[in-house]
Amino acid sequence: MSHSDTIPLHASSQSDIDEIENLINASVQSGPATVLPARPPSPPRIPVSSSPFIPSNLPPLPSTHQKPSFVPSVPSAPPPPPVNSHSSIGASGFGSPPNTLTEPVWDTVKRDLSRIVSNLKLVVFPNPYREDPGKALRDWDLWGPFFFIVFLGLTLSWSASVKKSEVFAVAFALLAAGAVILTLNVLLLGGHIIFFQSLSLLGYCLFPLDIGAVICMLKDNVIIKVAVVCVTLAWSSWAAYPFMSSAVNPRRKALALYPVFLMYVSVGFLIIAID
Amino acid sequence: MDLTQPPGENYANPRTCFFHVLFKAAALAFYILSALFIDNFVIIFVVTVLLAALDFWVVKNVSGRILVGLRWWNEINDLGESVWKFESLEQESLARLNKKDSWLFWWTLYLTAVAWVVLGIFSLIRFQADYCLIIGVCLTLSVANIIGFTKCRKDAKKQIQKFASQTIANRVSSTIQSAFSVV
Repeated sequence: MSHSDTIPLHASSQSDIDEIENLINASVQSGPATVLPARPPSPPRIPVSSSPFIPSNLPPLPSTHQKPSFVPSVPSAPPPPPVNSHSSIGASGFGSPPNTLTEPVWDTVKRDLSRIVSNLKLVVFPNPYREDPGKALRDWDLWGPFFFIVFLGLTLSWSASVKKSEVFAVAFALLAAGAVILTLNVLLLGGHIIFFQSLSLLGYCLFPLDIGAVICMLKDNVIIKVAVVCVTLAWSSWAAYPFMSSAVNPRRKALALYPVFLMYVSVGFLIIAID
Repeated sequence: MDLTQPPGENYANPRTCFFHVLFKAAALAFYILSALFIDNFVIIFVVTVLLAALDFWVVKNVSGRILVGLRWWNEINDLGESVWKFESLEQESLARLNKKDSWLFWWTLYLTAVAWVVLGIFSLIRFQADYCLIIGVCLTLSVANIIGFTKCRKDAKKQIQKFASQTIANRVSSTIQSAFSVV
């Protein structure tokens, strides 16, 4: 970049931007440096950061046609040379650009993956934020739950010696519908949760049961299975407890928690019973 | 449709367009063809849903940004309320987006949803509940993207109008001010 920007960045983007900026500074700038007039900052629809996020780690396209350069609030230079080859998706070099609209594809992937990991850690493992559940899953996402549900279905299906397809379909439908119904249950009890946040939570809490299912798949002894399932069941319930209980009126806590426990118990039975 | 366009104009982002269409077409094709060749429902389910999920991700995060300059997501603010955020490029960049790209984007989005509905009807007729499950998931993903981007586009138009009227107001007031300073 020909100059450095002084606009404060969102913490999580900082290191990425630094890395990319260093690469840009080290490279030769090709193409016209489009300097466009700064536009007035728009109303808060750019929540993450409003600074020029230096773009693409993609190979710059030869400019056989006018490539629109996306204007940031500060003018900046065109794309740098490729950093890695991951972003095969997402074509041509993007001009200058701020905010998440024009960040490189690889960054989006990384961001999503790290979000899954951090959500998992927050929900399933002991951590200081457990007392404030609203904050814990602030950044909900449904990818983690999706993977866990499919994984559980696959594990159960693999363990089954007959009717594999039915087992998978039942497991998936049970978990997906169960999560939706449990969320509706809390909402109908007058609780304050956000639909997707709750779905996300219930999905992440399946992680211990996933582990239990894998262990049960490997070891065929009934006693071990029962023990493992009990442990993972308790772990799942413990993970889901603070979130669910804080969402409803204290007098109705049991009403909200009981169905969650019931669902996990039924999944536990499914794991034990599969042979 | 392309007659009025200059001869050189083509898809501005051919690779993005390709990927945008690729996963959608792959999910549909796999679903339709697999019923003929593969006997295992689990594989059909997992692969189809995986392709549909990948498509959802690609459209939401990549092609939406690149082809039409729109992005949407959900955040939970400090009060614990869920807020839907829409983001779009400003007016001049929007105007410079390739028409073909955006045409392809919107049309494939709608057509995929319609295709899934049609396939769903076939499954219903045949009373195949488990295939309806696949359809349900894929349809949910398609519809989510459609709703998200449509809302985002409307929001973008509103922002543009607001911005335009604001600019006009500013111009008018500065003109008046300069007029007064001259006098």
